[in-house]
Amino acid sequence: MQVGFQTPRVQQPDSLTVDSDARERVRSAGRVRLDHLTLSFVDYLILALYFGFVLGIGWLVKRRVSTAEEFLTSGRSVPVWITSLAFIAANLGAQEVIGMCASGAKYGIMTAHFYWIGAVPAMLFVGVFMMPFYYGSRARSVPEYLKLRFDEKTRGLNAIAFAIMTLFSSGISMYALGILFQLVLGWSFTASVLLSAAIVLVYTFLGGLTSAIYNEVLQFFLIVLGFAPLSILAVTKAGGWKGVSANIPQVMTHSWTHLAKASDNPMGVEIFGLAAGLGFVLSFGYWCTDFLVVQRAMAANSMSAARRTPLIAAFPKMFMPFVVIVPGVAALALSHMAVGYSIPLKPDGGPNYDLVLTTLMAQFYPSGILGLGLTALMASFMSGMAGNVTAFNTVFTYDIYQGYIRRNETDAHYFTVGRITTIAGVALSIGTAYLASYFNNIMDFLQLVFGFVNAPLFATFLLGMFWKRSTGHGAFTGLLSGTLAAAATHGLTVAEGKGGWLGAVVHEFPSTMAQNFWIAIFAWSTCFVVTALVSLMTEPKPESELHNLVFGLTDIPHEKAPPWLQRPAVLAVIVIIVLVGLNLVFA
Amino acid sequence: MNDLRVPIGLFFSIVGVILLITALTSHSTAPIGSENVNLYTGGCMLVFGGLMLWLARRAA
Repeated sequence: MQVGFQTPRVQQPDSLTVDSDARERVRSAGRVRLDHLTLSFVDYLILALYFGFVLGIGWLVKRRVSTAEEFLTSGRSVPVWITSLAFIAANLGAQEVIGMCASGAKYGIMTAHFYWIGAVPAMLFVGVFMMPFYYGSRARSVPEYLKLRFDEKTRGLNAIAFAIMTLFSSGISMYALGILFQLVLGWSFTASVLLSAAIVLVYTFLGGLTSAIYNEVLQFFLIVLGFAPLSILAVTKAGGWKGVSANIPQVMTHSWTHLAKASDNPMGVEIFGLAAGLGFVLSFGYWCTDFLVVQRAMAANSMSAARRTPLIAAFPKMFMPFVVIVPGVAALALSHMAVGYSIPLKPDGGPNYDLVLTTLMAQFYPSGILGLGLTALMASFMSGMAGNVTAFNTVFTYDIYQGYIRRNETDAHYFTVGRITTIAGVALSIGTAYLASYFNNIMDFLQLVFGFVNAPLFATFLLGMFWKRSTGHGAFTGLLSGTLAAAATHGLTVAEGKGGWLGAVVHEFPSTMAQNFWIAIFAWSTCFVVTALVSLMTEPKPESELHNLVFGLTDIPHEKAPPWLQRPAVLAVIVIIVLVGLNLVFA
Repeated sequence: MNDLRVPIGLFFSIVGVILLITALTSHSTAPIGSENVNLYTGGCMLVFGGLMLWLARRAA
């Protein structure tokens, strides 16, 4: 009956996914007896109140949205504190919340590396170094930046791959939520999928990106305030962090001291694979190039605000492990302490980490706060899905429809297309959610392919933004060969029985996590080298066309001596100091 | 809508009040733990919601 979230994927280091065995088990879950959580009136009241507010925000924002630009890109008008919180909330889907708690119980505090050497350094990089080009180019999307910087085919490749991947990840997360609510609450899969999709559709249709962003801020606070009490209660019950440490193996409460050899830690990774694979390639690839998150910063009301968006977001981001991972670690300790909590089991007797979060809630939350916790789970699902839908409609409308189907239409025309695309995006997501429940292997295969497509992306952007000699032909061939290199690495290596489909097995990894990290490293390196070589052999764009797109040819606006706390470099340094401090405490 | 802090403040204030009422009227506790969780979290929500509303009011 496991829901299966705990294997981090290549394309989104932070989100977790559903493996096929898990789905097989889940499909037969209807026949397995499970004590459902019973909700009382007050729990439903809080859930209903939340739905009311979400729809109300959509309704209020609607009045401000009258053009395609406002609908799809918020017309670059959103204050920085809002874009910052939306920047992390859009990524904080239900799969991440459940998966991080599961990983906390399975791998311990090491899971925090997904934040500390994963997300945060990448967020600093995109804010300090890349945002000037994204925002300054006046591109409306990441694929559009690729068109301005390189050429049409590079943009097309990125736009189409991104649009398809967004739909599938939205559908998969919808599927995961439906299955979870079926297991935990006994709700019908169809009812929870349709109800949550309908609400997301209404508020994104009414207010577009602004509505999604505003709701993401509400969702962010709800997720933090809904899950933080669980973390506090679980750790307190275990006797504080000291009590937690005393009851579980030392490796579970240290993030750095057991990284010298892959066999020393439960993740099966060593320090280079972790730092280069997760810390550099995967995290930079996701946080610096994925339009889902970059779109939030691009909606900010000034260049300075756009640059500060990921930097300000880094502060709450680095403390998120205390809300989403620590409960899992504490759960493991509690299960060793005979206090009435045990890690839930699968039918075959193995631990079912995916249900750790919901079983903790069932044990620690009385009616009332229980409703708030489930509302937070629902909110995390909605923020993830709305993020996908709003990124999808922008890329489809501007990069696919305007790029290849109808080029010169009025703004009103694209506004209508954007709204229809929103409806179509939600409908297709529902379709993929059902596809996921019927064709497990196809979904696994697609996720694998998406991972291959995403792994090399950061090399393309790095060369594009910082080397004016790199060319469109170079970028395109680099991306394709990086994807092939990722596929080849997966085909030639094995980990936990996965991969090795090319026949000859060159290497065996101790865990699929290590395999993912190394696939990313090979894909990135191949893309980097091929892009550079092909660029040197092909004709570069004239410098006049690269203005505001490449380092050295961009005027970074000199705002009249901003207060020092608003300078990107100062903010970045403060983030680094706090980050190093956190890593020392949990070394 | 001009200030997002207003709906956020309202939402958490209302949730805070709901949790406080729950805490004072029923003594339902979770299977583990004897503390009245609704009382503490309800109080925190109300303070957070009030703070948001106050910030919005001050800016207006």
